[in-house]
Amino acid sequence: MGSSEQIDRVTDLRAWPGEFPVSHLYTMGIAGERFFRELKDNGRFLGSRCAACDHVYLPPSIFCPRCFAALDEWKEVGPQGTVRAVTTAHRGVDGTTLKTPETLALIQLDGADDLLTHRIKESEGLEIGARVAPVLKETPEREGSILDVRYFRAV
Amino acid sequence: MPTKVAIIGVGHTAFRATSPGLSYKELMFEAATRAYEDAGLDARSEIDSFLTCSEDLAEGTSIFDEYVPDQIGGAERPVYTVSGDTIQGLATAYMQIASGIVDVVSVEAHSKASNVVTPGELHAFALDPIFVRPLGFNAHAMAGLEASAYLATTSTTREQCAHVVAKNRRNALANPSAAHAAAIDPQDVLSSPPAFAPLTELEVSAPADGALVIVLASEERAKKLKRQPVWLRGIGWSTGSGITSGTDGSSADYARSAAEMAYRMAGIGDPRQGIDFAEVDDSYSYKEPQHLEALGLFGPGRAGAATADGATARDGDLPVNVSGGSLGVGQLFEASGGQKVAEVVAQLRGEAGPRQLKKAKTGLAQSWRGIPTATGAVVVLSRD
Ligand SMILES: [Zn+2]
Repeated sequence: MGSSEQIDRVTDLRAWPGEFPVSHLYTMGIAGERFFRELKDNGRFLGSRCAACDHVYLPPSIFCPRCFAALDEWKEVGPQGTVRAVTTAHRGVDGTTLKTPETLALIQLDGADDLLTHRIKESEGLEIGARVAPVLKETPEREGSILDVRYFRAV
Repeated sequence: MPTKVAIIGVGHTAFRATSPGLSYKELMFEAATRAYEDAGLDARSEIDSFLTCSEDLAEGTSIFDEYVPDQIGGAERPVYTVSGDTIQGLATAYMQIASGIVDVVSVEAHSKASNVVTPGELHAFALDPIFVRPLGFNAHAMAGLEASAYLATTSTTREQCAHVVAKNRRNALANPSAAHAAAIDPQDVLSSPPAFAPLTELEVSAPADGALVIVLASEERAKKLKRQPVWLRGIGWSTGSGITSGTDGSSADYARSAAEMAYRMAGIGDPRQGIDFAEVDDSYSYKEPQHLEALGLFGPGRAGAATADGATARDGDLPVNVSGGSLGVGQLFEASGGQKVAEVVAQLRGEAGPRQLKKAKTGLAQSWRGIPTATGAVVVLSRD
């Protein structure tokens, strides 16, 4: 011990509770606006391409992390894709066991060179390499959010 | 030749699942007291600069820098916080000393994980707020995703990953400071409840509380102190775009590039020849072989089989996580890399007691900042 005293009765132990009452807005930005407007209005996925690196970014970006060029070439990708990683989560955010485990995947949408994280449903025994397609909300329900994609499922 | 800098003192508390009797300041005070005693230095007159490695959200306090000086001897002295792992703090200390503005630097890191009432929410808050966090899943699932890609790409098996967990938790039995020592077998790991498939509950390192302080000094200063110096031969750090960048999802490129930087500085060509033992990040079972391969200590896809064959055991060809690692000692937020450095120093000094290695001239410690980061740091330390 660094100090010469110790608390030796557990009933003496005290702690003060606190929490963060903090809320944020996260600006979509130029690339985010493009992506989510296209998803909301037309149900399509938009990536951005760096010609020099021959890389299609998804989510799209207006800059290339590989060569640092400014990007202005938009490319429709998907909607189908290939599963590159898959997990089944048996625990929720609060750490408790989920009654219904949930499956998540990293999906390479056709034409994209990055991976999209999303939920998988209705796809028993899905493995890496499986082909999947998105299930979108109906147009009037879409609000320009990643949740406009309800989930992906095997095709 | 890079400027020579030495570690001249290390102090830490025991790492335990809870620490209800001590505040984080008292844990830090204990670690600092031990470290300055180890170095033979007076806290208030013989240390030129102080660093703490911490993240505000994990502390539950914004601008946490303001709460650190008093308990490490740094009041009215040069102090700031590095919001990164301990090894990134060591890199900052190295630069301060190499620049010549100071001679002796204290680097502190700690975990008071048991005070985080909603760890899942804290972890989820690190996910991309627009594209990922709205999906509302436990952030450990990102490790499940990465594990699935790593196993598929390298043909590493779940059994081999289970060997990592059994090895590290058993290694921790010889480490009185470890929070999660256990005499378990690979079968226990595989048959524990599924958590984030392919990972079971026992493949996810559990948090622990504790604090540690590492004191560094210039060559000139180190040679005048009573302690045998442990020399910092190479250090490197790197951050990548993350596992969703690119189409692989399975390689720890941050560890590869951090190691390249550290090896270049240390003049190490073949790390397997130049390194006697390693303490690498094992936040999840598969992370240990994945990191060993990225560090060039095993070929691609070879570390899992080597682990099952005993090559990384305490008496193996390349002992890995003899301390117990994060699986055995506990997950310590930004102190995780520091715990690994402390073990490397103890081994190099010949002070590791029942877990002392016979061959310990040069050791490596590596950190990863956890899900969802692609940030790693590497330090190579040696006795001479
Ligand atoms: Zn480019």
